[in-house]
Amino acid sequence: MSSEPALMSLTAVAKAIADKRVSSREATQSCLARIVRWQPHLNAFMAIEAEEALKAADAADTALAKGDRRGPLHGVPLAHKDMYYEAGKVVTCGSRIRGDFVATTTSTALQRLKDAGTIRLGSLQMAEFAYGPTGHNSHYGSVHNPFALDHITGGSSSGSGAAVAARLTFAALGSDTGGSIRMPAHFCGVTGLKTTVGRISRAGAMPLSQSLDTVGPLARTAEDCAVLLTLMAGADPEDPTAVSGPVPDYAAATTQSIKGLTIGVPTSFYVDDLDADVAGALEATIAAFRREGANIVAVELPDQRQLSAAAQLVLAVEAAAFHKRWLIERAQDYGAQVLMRLQNGLAIPAVNYLEAMRWRGVALAAHLAAVKGVDAVIAPVSPVPAPTIAESDVGNSPDAEAVIQRLTRFTRPINYLGLPSLSIPSAFTRSGLPVGMQLIGRSFDEATLLRIGAAFQRATDFHERVPQLP
Amino acid sequence: MTRPTAKEVKAIADVAGVPVDNETAARIANSIGPAFDGFAAIAGTLQFDLEPSTFVVVQTSKAAR
Repeated sequence: MSSEPALMSLTAVAKAIADKRVSSREATQSCLARIVRWQPHLNAFMAIEAEEALKAADAADTALAKGDRRGPLHGVPLAHKDMYYEAGKVVTCGSRIRGDFVATTTSTALQRLKDAGTIRLGSLQMAEFAYGPTGHNSHYGSVHNPFALDHITGGSSSGSGAAVAARLTFAALGSDTGGSIRMPAHFCGVTGLKTTVGRISRAGAMPLSQSLDTVGPLARTAEDCAVLLTLMAGADPEDPTAVSGPVPDYAAATTQSIKGLTIGVPTSFYVDDLDADVAGALEATIAAFRREGANIVAVELPDQRQLSAAAQLVLAVEAAAFHKRWLIERAQDYGAQVLMRLQNGLAIPAVNYLEAMRWRGVALAAHLAAVKGVDAVIAPVSPVPAPTIAESDVGNSPDAEAVIQRLTRFTRPINYLGLPSLSIPSAFTRSGLPVGMQLIGRSFDEATLLRIGAAFQRATDFHERVPQLP
Repeated sequence: MTRPTAKEVKAIADVAGVPVDNETAARIANSIGPAFDGFAAIAGTLQFDLEPSTFVVVQTSKAAR
């Protein structure tokens, strides 16, 4: 056991608390001590609720001493992206507009984690209304990458990526509409799971695009993501789009070998125009899978640029529709970049939007045909490691828009297809920046992705690297 | 499917109930142009009886899993 509980994985600390080797108070104090040291450098937290967290930890310890273990994550302190409603709490959604919005309900995903025994450390920073891929936020400041403070975290789950990487929380909820879990996971060196559309209820989660939004975890390991997914997945009367049926034991899947599984490597698009470090990481990851007994095959995927274009049309229109009232009444309260992105959706005719929606099933069928016999596809999350905050700041750099477009080109197509994708830390660049790879699965087959991710993490230690304060 | 001009963007935004000025309309036209271009090969080619719900049908089919 580590002398610093915050350095343990979610799974390990939950077991240590259950076995009474670590108290919930010790785990919470350990996280809070790191938050005090790191927050001035990272700006990862929107709100820190130290006193309430310690009170909840003491209550968890008292309950456990009486034999009352609330659930598998009893007494584990967590913080989440500030867009998950919790009754009585301010939920800013990273915005000025909702700067004093107090939720009256609790999101289903959050409630299920609370029911499993977790306690709240506070809330995490994010891009304004989850509509930005870098981690910039004009109202609350940029979040900084723990591995290189002048570099971006990626977004929109910027605080989640930074806080998990710096070991300030054992895991965090993010959301992924165009890459918002996978990019922070890639840039910050943590594990992030974008779930299948419909796998986890979105009730009580701030909406951005009802067709593309997904809820998912960022954590230190695939096993941790599996534990969280098992707790959160399943039908929900509050969200009819959450699919019914039994929820697999995802954690059990992570113990299995990947011998005999078939992993596809795209022949184009995802292998084009890669930074040298990212290209090297892709090759090394494929080699690791091969050593673990997986079969590696080439796959020719349909035109991913069309998928990306369709995703942009859908996202732009749905986001503009959600925000229309505020675009009329409070346009001045948006950050300039987010306002511009929202305005884009106003100019797309309904027929074009509906064509993009009508084509979605056809596109998914074509993808599934292309990956027939393949258990997962491996691809970089982004062609590049984290750029600096300065070079990706649209307000300050003339090249920033091009930088941002390049960042997101490998994530948007997967959102359009609604598929699950697991981002795993796969390398570090020569300058010490993390590089992640995404495993793209079949609909609702998160189990296979987590199985592959866990096997990779048993064979490598990229996920165990802890950033150091300068 | 052709990308809308700044003038068309301005008209569409007006109809949507969120008017924008000429400069913003030009910026929007430039910004959304690539999405229109990227989707151009698909637009206008879809079969008559294709509904958005086809996505859920495919997603939940045995072949998808």
